[in-house]
Amino acid sequence: MSVFISVGIVILAMLIMASLQLVPGIFALFSHYAIGKFQRTKASTLALWFILGAEIITVIFFIIAVYLSYILFLNDLDPRNNVLTWIFAGILIALSLASFFFYFRHPHSKDTELFIPRSFAKAFDKRARSAKSPSDAFALGAFSNIPELIFTMPLYIITATEIVYSHAEYFADDFMTILYILISTVPLFVLYHSFRSKRTLADVMHSRIRDKTFHRLCLSFSYLTIAILIICFRIV
Amino acid sequence: MNSLNLKQIKRELKIDARGLNIPSGSAEIFIDRTLETVSQKFKDRAFVTEKDLKNTIAKELSKYHKDFAYVYKNRDKII
Repeated sequence: MSVFISVGIVILAMLIMASLQLVPGIFALFSHYAIGKFQRTKASTLALWFILGAEIITVIFFIIAVYLSYILFLNDLDPRNNVLTWIFAGILIALSLASFFFYFRHPHSKDTELFIPRSFAKAFDKRARSAKSPSDAFALGAFSNIPELIFTMPLYIITATEIVYSHAEYFADDFMTILYILISTVPLFVLYHSFRSKRTLADVMHSRIRDKTFHRLCLSFSYLTIAILIICFRIV
Repeated sequence: MNSLNLKQIKRELKIDARGLNIPSGSAEIFIDRTLETVSQKFKDRAFVTEKDLKNTIAKELSKYHKDFAYVYKNRDKII
């Protein structure tokens, strides 16, 4: 039973990671500028460096989360009787509300402005516009994950705890870890393929606007479901 | 509106046009006509706000290419 709950939590966390919009948004802008400035081959190479940067930072965050989960839950304390588990459930419920009401700045308008401060958005736009070398693309891919940490870090910690804690029950932890890390960059590969098949930033924007409500609901329900699963099955 | 500003806008518009797969010849015509109309419109004004300039350029561009105008107008609202 516990294994199924763990798998469920990890799959829901994957769904959230794949629904987050900041990194794909920055990647779309970056690809648009790269195609506008360079030959398609160079633009493709830079896009792959961006994806590699995003992937590496995800691995780093996951390793940090494993250490944090050891400190918070697994070192001495039983996660089933831990007040921290309640706190994390509370954080997830808060994130569920935040992702529905505040993740997009204007939930009903025809744009995809996100929750990040406008100065951050401008800085990312500037960096995406001026990036011209693989190192620029790699750094942009890595840094673009940081403002979203408020939404992702609790998930990383909970996923790491579930994966590590379930290890004793022969849970396929290596496979789930790799899948969890890879899944966050799947939207980037989809966008990469879209830009390679001559879709443009306008097409990507239109589809993001069309799917905005779906993303909000998906994020909100997934956070809420993880919180409910934790409250029901991880707190005794 | 000084010429330096127009040059910069033209350079940015060319990047956008290429990113949107608009053929370079057509893009050049769209951009030149748009910027010509915009500079005519603002030639007597002492100050032009960034928002006014952006909206006017987007409005002019939309006569030639809807996606081009859309991307130019909404670029800072993507993330």
